[in-house]
Amino acid sequence: MLIRFRRLSQGLFLLLFLALFLQTEQKGADHLGYPVKVFLDGDPLLALATLLSGHALAAGFVLALALVAVTALLGRVFCGWACPLGTLHNLAGTLRRWRGPQRVRGWFRAKYLLLVFLLGGSAVGLQLTGVFDPLSLLVRHLALGPYPAFNYAVNATMDAVYRADLRPLTALADPVYGLLRKTLLAFSQPRFSQGALLTALLLAILALNLSERRFWCRYLCPLGALLGLMGRWSLLKRETAEGCNACGACDRACQGGLRAAEENGWTGTECLYCMACDDACPKRAVHFGFTPGPRGQALDLGRRRVLLAGGAGVASAAMLRATPVLDPARADPDLLRPPGAREEPEFLARCVKCGECMKVCTTNGLQPTFLEAGLEGIWSPRLVPTRGYCEYHCTLCGQVCPTGAIRALDPVRKAQWRIGTAMFDRGRCLPHAHATPCIVCEEVCPTPTKAIWFEDVAVRDRNGKEVRVKQPHVDLELCIGCGICEAKCPVGDRPAVRVTSIGETRSRHNRLLLDDTAGYPG
Amino acid sequence: MDRREFLQNSAGTLAGLAGAAALSPLLAAAPAAPDLAVARGAAPGRAVRAAVEALGGIRRFIARNDVVVVKPNIGWDRMPEYAATTNPEVVAALVKLCLEAGAAKVKVFDRPVNDPRRTYAQSGIEAAARAAGAEVGFVDERRFREVKIPRGVAIQAWPIYLDVLEADKLVNVPIAKHHGLGRLTLAHKNWMGIMGENRGRIHQRLDEALVDLSTVVRPCLTVLDAVRILTRNGPQGGDLADVKRLDTVVAGTDQVAVDAFGATLFGLTGADLGSVREAARRGLGVMDLGRLAIRRLEA
Repeated sequence: MLIRFRRLSQGLFLLLFLALFLQTEQKGADHLGYPVKVFLDGDPLLALATLLSGHALAAGFVLALALVAVTALLGRVFCGWACPLGTLHNLAGTLRRWRGPQRVRGWFRAKYLLLVFLLGGSAVGLQLTGVFDPLSLLVRHLALGPYPAFNYAVNATMDAVYRADLRPLTALADPVYGLLRKTLLAFSQPRFSQGALLTALLLAILALNLSERRFWCRYLCPLGALLGLMGRWSLLKRETAEGCNACGACDRACQGGLRAAEENGWTGTECLYCMACDDACPKRAVHFGFTPGPRGQALDLGRRRVLLAGGAGVASAAMLRATPVLDPARADPDLLRPPGAREEPEFLARCVKCGECMKVCTTNGLQPTFLEAGLEGIWSPRLVPTRGYCEYHCTLCGQVCPTGAIRALDPVRKAQWRIGTAMFDRGRCLPHAHATPCIVCEEVCPTPTKAIWFEDVAVRDRNGKEVRVKQPHVDLELCIGCGICEAKCPVGDRPAVRVTSIGETRSRHNRLLLDDTAGYPG
Repeated sequence: MDRREFLQNSAGTLAGLAGAAALSPLLAAAPAAPDLAVARGAAPGRAVRAAVEALGGIRRFIARNDVVVVKPNIGWDRMPEYAATTNPEVVAALVKLCLEAGAAKVKVFDRPVNDPRRTYAQSGIEAAARAAGAEVGFVDERRFREVKIPRGVAIQAWPIYLDVLEADKLVNVPIAKHHGLGRLTLAHKNWMGIMGENRGRIHQRLDEALVDLSTVVRPCLTVLDAVRILTRNGPQGGDLADVKRLDTVVAGTDQVAVDAFGATLFGLTGADLGSVREAARRGLGVMDLGRLAIRRLEA
């Protein structure tokens, strides 16, 4: 009975998650109109990590506190009833037929040690939590991997049907495609570097369910571990009534991998409250109820192991930071962070790599880094203007950032925010090098007084004929590095104007002009 | 004849028909209709109606059951007061007029430079045109067809949006703006919005390319929006100080004449604009305002 409610709840939460995921897209207005990051807001692990490493309260920490309260009262109900990744694990688990007693490796402690490792790192500003946090992980991998692939599959199919021009089929496909474009598909085909890798990682995590049901939730999930700790003294407990003959039916059904049929086999920190045991019991002897008192086995991680894991977290920070990439005295020219991004160390301390900013980016210009920001910054966002420029009036990336790694800028501030600075490659620019008129960069430059200005010059072509051209220059004070000039430059392969990070507003170090109006925001 | 060939042929025929349609009033020697109608009035919609009425009424241009494309400038992510995109009330008034003349369908679209979702919404055109009864859709990148430009000087062929090629009538609704290369962007430049692929390349021979395009894309009516004009930092603007309110619309059948008149709004003449000179030289229209019957009205 309860199992049906649980499944319904899981389905609804998954649908809500996916609906908000699809709404994480530019619609034309300045705001999205939906609380698209509500799952991330309600995530206590992300809130805690942000507090530790970023010394800041995450925007939605009140929601996270609400989940803490629910967990303190009811245990890990979030894992069993709400977590969208948990639900996907359940679905993946159904791909295999389970017979007989289930194999349980009993590596429950691993996730607690991973949690301690991550928080140890957070304590010294190393933000790796988001890499493993199930909600951050799911948004990121879906947005960058399977969702673009899904779009590609549908688009390619529909294009093929359109090109084949099969009268009845093509006529039928058009309205279907129109409906899909309005609902499930992205406005234009998203493309992300490392998309296939991120898909493969997600599939690998889901494939673990073929080895043990909810393998991830039992052994790896740091959020599950945190909720387990928070629910240690929860009032909702499993009870066995008189009729139990230890037949083991509940053991076989248990998603948490507990030996519930044994004396003291039920452990509150590991129970997902999925109600499978209640459902499976032939004697109807299993119940969940509110009772004070002890709740199963105590969790013993071992003091040494905890110290080691935490220490390893701290040590990793040192290890990952001693790289030339993170030398503040030398900025990476191609590491263009989104508008409103904090200065690099603080940005890295806050960014949980959830991918929301990349999902929402209007032009698909925000792409995941690989090692450009160090291993520490893997899958954090960077602007790649040849892929997509930063839309002048758009502030969505800051709006969807759950931790404030990217500030939510007001439109006035956004219009002044310098991501980097554009400069011309005179050897490739048509008016500069090839006696050919072209003004595209200036035309598209969005600043009210254009940051690109012309010098009227008479040049000669190879026949000695005089040609008048307007040679473009960048006004370093006005350029905000949005990259639209680079994106639209007719020299498409390697544009004749390129944005690099120099002069970026967020940095105290990566400065250029002595007298800079777009200065460091503090 | 395969599909592509058929489309190209029909495009040519269509263009020819459109051209003939544009000339027919001259041939018929309708005495009352001026070449240009310039209407001033605080309500843009009323000014449009007055100007079109002065040209002989919308039924002169649009027939019952016509599929009409009304092509505004939706190129930039700017709100109407910045005068970077066509005034939404002007667009809506034209949509309504076409529907009143019995048009089967009025399509409104553009291939913007900035993000289409933002430009359509922020310009106010999507909402206004839709409310007026138009079908407002984003450009579908699959629907461009290579069109031959037999009289092309700079471009001999280019992918053009299929809806334009298939339409019975085209109505051009540009906004009058400053432009860094062409000095101004008016009616001719507005057709860049139906060009596919990497159209930025045409700036290498902008004036000739625009005139090439207008040899195959022939609107039956052009209404230049000068309700607000952008005098500097065009074509995108962004500073209200660069915007001048003129409360004017200029309507005509000859894009060259419309652009020549448009130039005067900025203190220039048609001869100052390369595209207008080039179009007049090739006999596509008249740029000498002295040879044109211009009716000015208050609306």
